[in-house]
Amino acid sequence: MSFHIVFFISIVAGFVGAMSGMGGGVILIPVLTLFGMDIKHAIAVSIVSVIATSSGSASAYVRDRITNLKVGMFLEMFTIVGALAGAAITLVSGRRILFILFGIVLLSSWVALFRQRKEGWRQATHQDVFSRWLELEGSYYDRSVRQTIAYQGVRSYLGGPFMFGAGLIAGLLGIGAGALKVLIHDLVMGLPPKVSTTTSNLIIGVTALAGTSVYLAAGMIDPGLTAPIILGVVSGAFVGTHVLVRLTNQTVRHIFLGVLLVLGIEMLFRGIWGV
Amino acid sequence: MQVSTNHPDKAQRNYSFDMESLVGYILLTGVLLSVVLLMVGFVWRWVRVGNLQFEHSIVGMNFFEFILSSLRQIASQAFRPRLFLNMGIAVLMLTPFVRVLASVFYFAFAEHNWKYTLFTGFVLAVLTYSLFLR
Repeated sequence: MSFHIVFFISIVAGFVGAMSGMGGGVILIPVLTLFGMDIKHAIAVSIVSVIATSSGSASAYVRDRITNLKVGMFLEMFTIVGALAGAAITLVSGRRILFILFGIVLLSSWVALFRQRKEGWRQATHQDVFSRWLELEGSYYDRSVRQTIAYQGVRSYLGGPFMFGAGLIAGLLGIGAGALKVLIHDLVMGLPPKVSTTTSNLIIGVTALAGTSVYLAAGMIDPGLTAPIILGVVSGAFVGTHVLVRLTNQTVRHIFLGVLLVLGIEMLFRGIWGV
Repeated sequence: MQVSTNHPDKAQRNYSFDMESLVGYILLTGVLLSVVLLMVGFVWRWVRVGNLQFEHSIVGMNFFEFILSSLRQIASQAFRPRLFLNMGIAVLMLTPFVRVLASVFYFAFAEHNWKYTLFTGFVLAVLTYSLFLR
């Protein structure tokens, strides 16, 4: 594939990923395969770009002191092992299975985004012994309400194993799987939404590195292809977050939902009826 | 929900020299450096050859051998666009790795928090092992 096509696709993927908060991989991989790239290669090069986008945005959130480093570093232990296993599975698995799994992930993200829970966050009332031992509490200054919000993480004994699953999907499909991580932070561990998203960003970088190491060892990281993708996704994400000061427009959301749905169905069909 | 109306600076004073800035700046520096290296590689290639196609792969090397081979080329001053591309990717991959390494040291020597030294140490060990894979 020529530089221009890869670079252009990556810019769009980074841009859409940043605006929707879904990350670039979910768009990048299906589109690359549409242009004829082998799905395993698309997964391998995409996961490298995930390191770039997540580290880039994590750096800002960490310095704003919203990210909970201890929660992140505890859960990383599980995601990296999951990512190693996931990437190893991808190397030996059939391509059609990967298409089907990718389709399922796209469609379930579509459902999750479509239903978007509007309930407010509620502080967990009782912290279990294990989570207290892990020192999983914190506070951050919320600019929008001008208050310091204190919180306690709970049920980390469930959060850990669930995170292994999130890491597995990340390594397997070459995506950040941020939406899944946020869901675990939110529903299982009772973290406030802002802490969930920013902490998941921190974890994604290390998880993607673990996945990348497997693909690198398999000789699947081709610099001539990986480099334009990194540059494209990073610049697309930069434009998406900084220049257009967040279009929280309904139209954007609808377009994104439409794209997710079409790509999800397309991947599923290609998996079922052969590529 | 526990809410207090402390000014943010007050809440932040609890952190001494903070891990937050350390981690934040490591990530920022790594990503920026990587992007700059990749751009230098592409611009140089374009100026010299007039196209942006690179056809080379990293085969039969683990990550540390990949870094070593890049360093050897730097030492022998064999600068080529391809080297910048490789370095850009290497720096990007080192970024989370260095972040974890710094966290281990921070938890051990600044916070004396052995629990988290152990946790981050485990992450570091697994990553090091996986980067040695071939």
